[in-house]
Amino acid sequence: MKVFTCGKSYEDMLTCIYDAWSYALGAGHDGVRLMCEPVSQLDMFADYVHVYADDEKSQKVMRSIRRISDIVYMNVFYALMSCREDALDSVYRYLIVAFREGRRVEQMLILPEVMKVMELRRTVGNEVHRFREFARFTAIDRRVYVCHIEPKNNVLIPVAEHFADRMMSEHWMIMDDNRRIVAVHPRDEDMYIRALTDSEAEVLSRAEEMRDEYTDMWKSFFETIGIDQRRNPECQRNMFPIWSRKHVTEFMQN
Amino acid sequence: MSEIITGLTTKEKLNILADAAKYDVACTSSGVDRKGVKGSLGNSVSCGICHSFAGDGRCISLLKVLMTNHCVYDCKYCLNRRSNDVPRATFEPDELCDLVIEFYKRNYIEGLFLSSGVLRDPTYTMQKMCETLYLLRTKYRFNGYIHVKTIPGASDELISMAGYLADRISVNMELPTDESLRKLAPNKNFRTILDPMGKLTNTIVAHRVAVGKSEKMERSGINRYLTGSIFNPDRSAGHGLRLDGQGGGGGSLLPGASGSSDKTALKTTDNLLPVMFHDADRRRPFAPAGQSTQMIVGTGDETDYTLIRTAQTLYQNYDLKRVFYSAYIPLNDDDALPAIGTEVPLLREHRLYQADWLLRYYGFRAEEIVSESEPNLDNRMDPKCNWAIRHLDQFPVEVQTAEYDMLLRIPGIGPKSAGRIVRARRYGFLTFESLKKMGVVLKRAHYFITCGGRMMYRIPIEREYIEHEMTDMSRKENWEIRHKDEQFRQMTLFDIGMQA
Repeated sequence: MKVFTCGKSYEDMLTCIYDAWSYALGAGHDGVRLMCEPVSQLDMFADYVHVYADDEKSQKVMRSIRRISDIVYMNVFYALMSCREDALDSVYRYLIVAFREGRRVEQMLILPEVMKVMELRRTVGNEVHRFREFARFTAIDRRVYVCHIEPKNNVLIPVAEHFADRMMSEHWMIMDDNRRIVAVHPRDEDMYIRALTDSEAEVLSRAEEMRDEYTDMWKSFFETIGIDQRRNPECQRNMFPIWSRKHVTEFMQN
Repeated sequence: MSEIITGLTTKEKLNILADAAKYDVACTSSGVDRKGVKGSLGNSVSCGICHSFAGDGRCISLLKVLMTNHCVYDCKYCLNRRSNDVPRATFEPDELCDLVIEFYKRNYIEGLFLSSGVLRDPTYTMQKMCETLYLLRTKYRFNGYIHVKTIPGASDELISMAGYLADRISVNMELPTDESLRKLAPNKNFRTILDPMGKLTNTIVAHRVAVGKSEKMERSGINRYLTGSIFNPDRSAGHGLRLDGQGGGGGSLLPGASGSSDKTALKTTDNLLPVMFHDADRRRPFAPAGQSTQMIVGTGDETDYTLIRTAQTLYQNYDLKRVFYSAYIPLNDDDALPAIGTEVPLLREHRLYQADWLLRYYGFRAEEIVSESEPNLDNRMDPKCNWAIRHLDQFPVEVQTAEYDMLLRIPGIGPKSAGRIVRARRYGFLTFESLKKMGVVLKRAHYFITCGGRMMYRIPIEREYIEHEMTDMSRKENWEIRHKDEQFRQMTLFDIGMQA
C-alpha cells in the first residue's frame, strides 16, 4: 500500500491525484490511497509519499476532468472542499469510475463511489449556501466592508464569488478565520485570495467590533419582526444553528 | 386617526413600521435570476436567500416594512385600522432607500418588501411607494430584489410603474370569499382585488411573450409535465373553473376572471402597458418573479376546501407564483372575529402549506386533497399520507419500475429523490439502503413501496394499521406545532387550591 499525502490547496490535491494515478497504472488502483495532511495516524504497513503541488500536473488533471462533463468537474471541485478526511480518496475512487463510464457517471448513484461524492457535494453545497445567507459585513466608515466566517469546509471561494457578483462596485473582504485566508475585492476590480499573517488577522478581527446606527437598527428590526404569539426558538435553531451564529450581527452581545 | 408625530428618528420609525408589517407573510426572495451590474449594487438568485431567522422561526429575507401605517380603512382584522389607537409613522423615500442600501451591503437582507397602509387615498399612497422604488432603482442604483404590495384602488399607471420597478408584485386577497370580505373588510370588495390581479397577470403575460418567453410562469422542474398537474397545459380544459355554488361559507368566487382565457387575455385594454415614466426604465422586465397573494386562515368559517380550491383557481387562472396562508392572530377586540387569546391555528396553516406544495410540486389537484364531503384537512397526518391511505389500492409501488408521477405520490419521496431514483435505476438495482441515501424518508415510505419485489418489513397493507402508524408518527410533531408557545413550570400546591 502506498499512501500519497498532500497539502490542502486545490493544486496540491489535483497533483496528488495525478501522481497517485500514474503510480497506480503499474500497481493497480487498490494499491494506493490518498490523504490530506496532517495525517493523524500512520499505518504501519504503508509507504507515505508527500506530493508537492505542480502547476502543470494539476492543470492536466483539471483539463481531463472537464472533458468528461461540467457536472463531474463541479462535483469534484465541491467534494475537494470538504473537510472530511476521506474526501480526497473518495474523489479519487469517483474519478476511476468517471473515466471509465464517461458522462453517464453523473447519474449512476447506484454505485457507492458516486453516491459518496454526491453526498460530499451536497454537504459542501449546503454550507456554501448557508454562508451566502449568514455572512455579515461590518462597515468601516461606510467604505470598506469586512466579513468574518468560520466554515467547516473550505467554502471561501464560492461564497466570495457570490458577493463578487453582488457587490461589484464596493470594497470588501471576507476572512476565513479557520484557515487564515482572505478574499479581497477592490471596487470594480477582480477579487483575489491570499493568506493572512498573524498581525493582519489581529487587525482585521477588530473590525468586527465596529458598531454604528445601522447595526443598532438591524438588531431592533430583528427583534421587532418576530411575532410573539408564534414564538418558536426550536425552529429558529433548526434553521439557524447556534454554531453558525458566532459572527452574525443580530446575535452578538453588546 | 392619531396625529402625525413629527421628529421621529429613523430607528423609531423602523420599529413602528416593521412591527406593523410583521403580520404580512410573504418574505420570499425567489423566482428571478439576475446578474450583478458594474456600478450598481445587488443581484438576485432564483432559489431565494434567507438572511436570518426570527424568534418565531420564520425567515427574514427582505426588509419588511410599511411605507406608512396610517390608514383610512377600517378592516376588522388589521392592527393598523383607522379605529385603533397605535403610534403612527411614515418613511421618507430617501430615508428608506438609505436603509435598504446600507442593510443590503452588510448582507442583512436580500431586498425590500414594501407594503403600506392607506394614507389619504390609495393613489397618493401608491405614488409615495413608487417614488421610493424609483429612487431606489435610479438614484441609489439598487439591483436587488423588491417585492411590492399594491394598494387596492390605486390607479393603473401607478400599479404598472410599480410592476416595472419591482420583482414581485402582490395583491392581498386576505379572505377567500366575497361574503367574508364584506363582513370583515367593509372598504374592500372582490372587484378591487381581482381587477388589478387580472391586469397584472395580463401584463406579465404580455411582457413575457414580448421577450420570447412562454405565457405561463416557469414552474419548478417537472411539475408542469406531470399528467395530473394543475400547471399541465394539456389540462387547460379545466381552466375556466369557477368556484361558485359550493357548500359551507360559499358565495360566488372569482367571477369571470379577465385572465381566464389565454387568447383573449392579451387585449390592450386589460393590461397595464404602456407606462408613463422614462423610456429607459421600461427596459426592465415587468414583475419577473410574478405575483403572489395572501389569505388569512381562521377568521371565519371558511373551510380548507374553499381555501385550497381558491388557491388552485388563482394558480390556474391568474398564474400566481405563490399563495400564502396566514394563521389569524387575534389583535382586535371585535364581535365578528375570534376573541383575543384564541389559539392561533398554526397546525392548520401548516397543513394548508403542505397541501399547497402538493398542488405546486407534486402534481396533485385540489379535488384529490379535500372534497366537499370532507372539507377540512386531516390534522393528524399530512395531506399526502392522507391521500395515500385513502388510495391503498394503488400501493405498494415497485420503485424499480414505477413512473415518476407515481413515485411523487408516495409519502416520503419528494421531487428530488424521485428524480434521483429515476436516473439511478437505469444503471442497476435499487436497495432500501441506496434509497435512504438518495433522500427517501423510509420511515414513511416503507409502508407504500416494494424494492425488488420486497417490502422493507413484513407489514399488512391495511388502512387501519397504516393509519394508526402514520398518526402515531406525526403525533409528536403535531403536538409541538400546536403547543410551541406554551411554557412549563413546576406545579405547586397553590395550583390545586391549598391555602397558604
